[in-house]
Amino acid sequence: MLEIKNLHVKIAEEDKPILKGIDLVVPKGEVHAIMGPNGSGKSTLAYVLAGRDDYAVTEGDILWNGESILEMAPDERAAAGVFLAFQYPMEIPGVAGLTFLRTATNAVRRKRGQEELTTPEFMKLVKQKAGELSIDVEMLKRPVNVGFSGGEKKRSEILQMALLEPTLCVLDETDSGLDIDALKVVSEGVNALRSPERAMLVITHYQRLLNHIVPDKVHVLAQGRIQRSGGKELALELEKSGYAEFGEKAA
Amino acid sequence: MTVAVMKTKAEQSFAEGFNEMRATLPGSAAVREAREGAARRFEELGLPHRRIEEWKYTDLRSAVKEALPARTGDKLAMTIADVIVAIGPLAQIDAHRIVFVNGAHRPDLSSRGSLAGLEVESLASALEDAQATESALSGFAGQESNAVLALNTAYMSDGAVVRVHAEAELEKPLLLVNIRAGAQPCFAAVRNVLEVGAKASARIVEAFVSLPGAASDGQINTATQISVGDDARLTHVKVAADDGSAVTHLANWIARLGKACEYRGFQLTQGINLARNQIQVVFDGEDAKLDLSGVFLGRGGDHVDTTLVVDHAVPGCESRELFKAVLDDHSRGIFQGKIIVQSVAQKTDGKQMSQALLLSPDAEFDSKPELEIFADDVVCGHGATCAELDKDLLFYCQSRGIPTDVARVLLIESFIGEAVALVEDEAINEALMGFARGWLSK
Repeated sequence: MLEIKNLHVKIAEEDKPILKGIDLVVPKGEVHAIMGPNGSGKSTLAYVLAGRDDYAVTEGDILWNGESILEMAPDERAAAGVFLAFQYPMEIPGVAGLTFLRTATNAVRRKRGQEELTTPEFMKLVKQKAGELSIDVEMLKRPVNVGFSGGEKKRSEILQMALLEPTLCVLDETDSGLDIDALKVVSEGVNALRSPERAMLVITHYQRLLNHIVPDKVHVLAQGRIQRSGGKELALELEKSGYAEFGEKAA
Repeated sequence: MTVAVMKTKAEQSFAEGFNEMRATLPGSAAVREAREGAARRFEELGLPHRRIEEWKYTDLRSAVKEALPARTGDKLAMTIADVIVAIGPLAQIDAHRIVFVNGAHRPDLSSRGSLAGLEVESLASALEDAQATESALSGFAGQESNAVLALNTAYMSDGAVVRVHAEAELEKPLLLVNIRAGAQPCFAAVRNVLEVGAKASARIVEAFVSLPGAASDGQINTATQISVGDDARLTHVKVAADDGSAVTHLANWIARLGKACEYRGFQLTQGINLARNQIQVVFDGEDAKLDLSGVFLGRGGDHVDTTLVVDHAVPGCESRELFKAVLDDHSRGIFQGKIIVQSVAQKTDGKQMSQALLLSPDAEFDSKPELEIFADDVVCGHGATCAELDKDLLFYCQSRGIPTDVARVLLIESFIGEAVALVEDEAINEALMGFARGWLSK
């Protein structure tokens, strides 16, 4: 389970605090949604969970299955089961998608003490998982994400998630830039990965995604703090009233 | 009035060395005369120094501290297995190999038989023949102030004179290998002449490598004259890959391109402490296409300088240049790219790009594009970038479980790969990436 305790985060080189005391518990098997206005710190939370060093944790802790992950490098966190689906997935010109996926998959397996996959084994796995996400394997021969549409990039993130078998999935605005059909495919992919062993944190602006990926709990992150939590109905309430009431509350 | 310049130790040694060697160097009387003339020219010019504009980043006069002894006709005991070791990833290519060791032709180490569609003669024997001599010496007009070339003319011991027949399509690449071997440091001067007949197509790879156990010091002076016939296609690659801590590699490529031909040139330089790759291409015929690219990898105190001049002397030609440097420690990479578009060269299309990846805060990249455009209906552009590894990309890789050192190699390989891919021959590309990976893994 994920435990975030009184987390205070600022941008590393500056003094501006972004997260001002986040407390959050996401048990295994549950999907929690984080909603909030722009600038509230949602993406920062996602990046800090993944271990990006542009941010500094000034107070508090992040525990994954009882162990603090703050000292762990991003690749160690990945091996420990953390996966961040980027809001803007990166293009890596010159590195073929299949090469990237195989390198990542085997790196994580090696760290977890599992046997690495041979190329034929890996190709079989990729074909299966890609098929489930309607991704043409031919596209994976291209450099990572190069020439992919927004929807294709998001589906590619979910493919990575399926291959790396994380136990904490953090989805950062996975719905941004997706049309209705792409949204359905991505949501199906995410739902297929729901399991009693997995905790998921879905970060989103809009309620729409949560029709497809139905959360167990919804939290409102505004002005660097979680200001309200509730069930999935909270998302519908926010749709109606917007985030205004959270902006007016003093920080 | 000429001011007498003090000769450096190296310049004196080169002059003295020539005096000692001149009798043993191959060639007819005409060749001897050419050598004498070149030696005199070198004495007048001396090694180039930084007050000469095109040498401003590479002061050879101060960098070359001594002249290593020249050796020719050395019959170092070596086997084909040694050649395979020395050429590394190039051994994977099914090629016709011509091998030179320390500047001397070694038929015993070369491929048996011949390759259909061309003739190859050793330079040493070609220089005894008047007509062949003409070819070997004539392609360098306009290079009178090129001191490095003068040194090559004076000292050249051997090389390959290659003539690809008109309309021939070589089924295999031709691999011209120069191996630096033996515990004694030495200086070797080789010259290759590549003539590709009209409508022919060929792939020719020059390799400058060393055998493990070779002295850590070495000096190579190489000059290659290239002429690509009308409608011909040549893919020409040079790999200068060494392991020596003090290897100097001075190279000249001088190319003339015929009508509607395609010349694809690529140079990889790594493990060389001091390199100057000078390339000159002149478009003699209209509608020709030139693609020049290269990768130089530097670490420690390596200094790699690529200087090129592309002369659009006729209309309708296209030139593309892409040079990439990966520089670590306090190494230095230099790219000087001059494009001349003469007033008659309308409809010229020329693009140049140089890029450097700096892996350490002490590495340095200097890029000097020069465009002299005298025609008014042309498209010409150039660009240069210099950056560190993209932190966001590194984080993306790490967040997928890829450890930092593996991620760095992945990204550096992808940077290099973009230029290597321009060679468009899978087997040669693989070999080039093989060399780069070897350098990266050290």
